[in-house]
Amino acid sequence: MHEMGIASSILEAVRNELLPYPGYRAAKVSVLIGEFAGVDGESLRFCFEASVMDTPMESVELCIESGTGDELDLRQIELELIEAQGPPGAATTCACSTKREEVCA
Amino acid sequence: MIAIDVKRKVLSENDRIASELRAGLRETGTLTLNFIGSPGAGKTAFLERTLQMLPEGMSAAVLTGDIQTDNDAIRLARYGYPVRQIATAGACHLDARMVQKHLRKWNIGEVDLLFIENVGNLVCPTSYDLGEDAKVVVLSVAEGEDKPLKYPGIFRKAELMILNKTDLLPYVPFRPELARDCARRIRPGIEIIETSALTGYGFEQWLIWLSARIQIKRASPARGGNVRSAASQSN
Repeated sequence: MHEMGIASSILEAVRNELLPYPGYRAAKVSVLIGEFAGVDGESLRFCFEASVMDTPMESVELCIESGTGDELDLRQIELELIEAQGPPGAATTCACSTKREEVCA
Repeated sequence: MIAIDVKRKVLSENDRIASELRAGLRETGTLTLNFIGSPGAGKTAFLERTLQMLPEGMSAAVLTGDIQTDNDAIRLARYGYPVRQIATAGACHLDARMVQKHLRKWNIGEVDLLFIENVGNLVCPTSYDLGEDAKVVVLSVAEGEDKPLKYPGIFRKAELMILNKTDLLPYVPFRPELARDCARRIRPGIEIIETSALTGYGFEQWLIWLSARIQIKRASPARGGNVRSAASQSN
């Protein structure tokens, strides 16, 4: 079940890509999985959803494209602006797990 | 909405470490082989027989991966070469970071030949580059001839297929020719050697293959390390 490791690698990459975009969160991540990649798409989806459950990444949609070789590629990450939630100064965090008053003021 | 076109491998971090490993192993001229096969294919017995038969003066080392126990390392250490067990504690494959961590404990510049015995699994280890020169897939005659068709990923990437446990052929309905055909349907150029780790059958041919690969590696212009006998190294 190395799909859990693959899911962790995807999430790590998403976190790194988010760093230059304060105030944004990931909405969708697209991966390309080849026929010979040795990765089962449904297992990966299961592991991905289990990994993001109850975390700031919970709403990220995983989009899986099929390839013909042994590709296992991260294709695209879509980011969306985090909308301010709750009254200013409330002790909540943004989806990027940064204190909301720092990024959403 | 911002769309970032990432376009890189999901396992790019593993690949980065594997590239570092490969560069280091090129520098030291260490031929590195990554053995992948099902649990029970005979990978450890195959390596035991290999270590027993290595020509004198050749320095070898083994990293062996399992989910739990150091049983394989204990078996392999009996032949006087340095061996380290990688217990993955649940992971079904070795990754480059695990290999890098364990190689730091050795002076790899003194090693001509590094065997990495992956966790018994035909699927997951295939995705992880360990910085090896070649992947070797081990299939046994106690399995199905059509395994290359069922698990094409590893047979596509392996340069050599060891068809092991041939001593069992009189007792099992396994057709070696069919297995060869299946493997070549996936990778037409795959080299195939039939062996029995129990009797030593086929090991002469395997050692010839190994010697040829070592010569190629030694001829590499990047080679820099000194060669020393494994007998002078400690575990």
